[in-house]
Amino acid sequence: MRQEQFVARYQAEWQAFEHWLATRGADANQARGKRNVGEAGDEEIPARYRRLCQQLALARRRGYSPQLTDRLQQLMQRGHNLLYRTPPPRWRRVPEFLLADFPRLVRQQAGCMWASAALFVIPLVAIFTLLQFRPELIHGLMELPEIAAVERMYDPSDTRHALGRDSGSNWHMFGVYIMNNISIGLRTFASGLLAGVGTIFVLIFNGVTIGAVAGHLHGIGYGDPFWRFVAGHAAFELTAIVIAGGAGLRLGFNLIAPGQRRRGDALAEGGRIGAKLCLGVAFMLFVAAFIEAFWSSIGSVPAWGKFTVSGVLWLLVILWLWRGGRGATHPGAGDAA
Amino acid sequence: MSAPILDTYCEVVTPEGVALHLRAAGPLPRALAWMIDLCIRIGVMIVMSLLLMAFGEMGQGIYLVVMFLVFWAYPILFEVFWSGRTPGKRALGVRVVADDGAPAGWMAVIVRNLLRTVDMLPFGYALGLLSSLADANGRRLGDHVARTLVVHEPAYREHAVPPLRTVVAPTIPLQPAEQEAVVAYGERAPLLSPARQVELADLAAPLTGTHGQTGVLRLYGMANWLLGRQ
Repeated sequence: MRQEQFVARYQAEWQAFEHWLATRGADANQARGKRNVGEAGDEEIPARYRRLCQQLALARRRGYSPQLTDRLQQLMQRGHNLLYRTPPPRWRRVPEFLLADFPRLVRQQAGCMWASAALFVIPLVAIFTLLQFRPELIHGLMELPEIAAVERMYDPSDTRHALGRDSGSNWHMFGVYIMNNISIGLRTFASGLLAGVGTIFVLIFNGVTIGAVAGHLHGIGYGDPFWRFVAGHAAFELTAIVIAGGAGLRLGFNLIAPGQRRRGDALAEGGRIGAKLCLGVAFMLFVAAFIEAFWSSIGSVPAWGKFTVSGVLWLLVILWLWRGGRGATHPGAGDAA
Repeated sequence: MSAPILDTYCEVVTPEGVALHLRAAGPLPRALAWMIDLCIRIGVMIVMSLLLMAFGEMGQGIYLVVMFLVFWAYPILFEVFWSGRTPGKRALGVRVVADDGAPAGWMAVIVRNLLRTVDMLPFGYALGLLSSLADANGRRLGDHVARTLVVHEPAYREHAVPPLRTVVAPTIPLQPAEQEAVVAYGERAPLLSPARQVELADLAAPLTGTHGQTGVLRLYGMANWLLGRQ
């Protein structure tokens, strides 16, 4: 069949399809509210799309002009985008993800999580302990101005400002914590793509820094305001860093040792797991920032009050990650969302 | 037809068994799109800082939260809700799609944007540039992990009215690819300058048997014949 006959025969079909795409293709919810007055019925679209595919294949095979094949391909691509689009996100899924899918995913990656926790906690505890016996070693880890700034923040004799900061109101610090902490969490995951080295570095570095600050302040007798400040948000913040690190290690490990899969497939899977974990991590760090800005900084709450709340929060986080999503019937059913 | 033509098409076979041609975008349009987005983001931050200055400390806090969103959420939200385009990508006519040609999903978009952190290393997207120069489809590291592509939007080309209605049968049987070239000539040449029409028609001299303006007319005639015009 010559091109002109081909066009003449199917032109009407293409125009109907195009018209349908233009009027009803954009938004399914909007389209549902309106009556379909066009020639092509909603339920016919998949069939019409497949006919279009066949016509495109014929046109290509018969060497019709690029103008025609381009036009058909464009139509087909629009149809393809419509039929194979990912379902729109459902907000109902958000609590389900946070309460069930996320803890389940963390447990599923338990190996990476424990490795990440070790990389973070061992340097932290080691440096802390070391500084109790050899306090002068702090000068090998931090510069003098940094040490002075930290000491100023937790000076027990200075009651003018809130705990754990030099200046700045709760709201200001909330912004600072959101910007800095969540960014660090997300970067901890992303740097796992450098064969895991980036993540390992970030974890050890954070462990050493936190261990150094805690060890130094505890050693010089500033422990009380310091522990009262960090107790509140530690549960969410430290756990979130470990989980972000675990996600980064998973990604790096999939790059190094893809196992029975192609490296690209393994990486893509590591990325998908990491993205989900990062959503949870961002949520945890958001909660941590909120606690840190509005609760941890209150200097008037006595130590027992802070530590009780801290204990409850730790218990919540552990229970959440340990029991969350157990007994649910559909593991990872909504993967695409 | 001898050696295959060098091209930046990425061919994806859809479930219907038809190849979808995606034109992968190289580093340059992507860098330009990123620059435009950067300007927009800086603009938003300047406007926000002027607005929020009035709210004192609370304003500073909100400013930092907005900064977080502009930095991390801007590309994610645009690429998810605006069919793979940020304003910069839209200006350059490119969009993000999954590597099977379907629209990129939530997870893929989140992954490719989180991994910008690595592509930016050690400075100015150097790793991303190296990666996209080394890849046939111009993908940066984040695209590899997320299984996404940045493609040019298909451009709609003008369809010219054939200048004459004569019909000439080709003297020799033509292969499909050769037919395609002749038909494409018939549809596009009227938009070109007369000199260029002659120049192109001269390339087909073995088929038309002549040079110059006569060759052009014969080629039009053959295109008409191949199209099935009477």
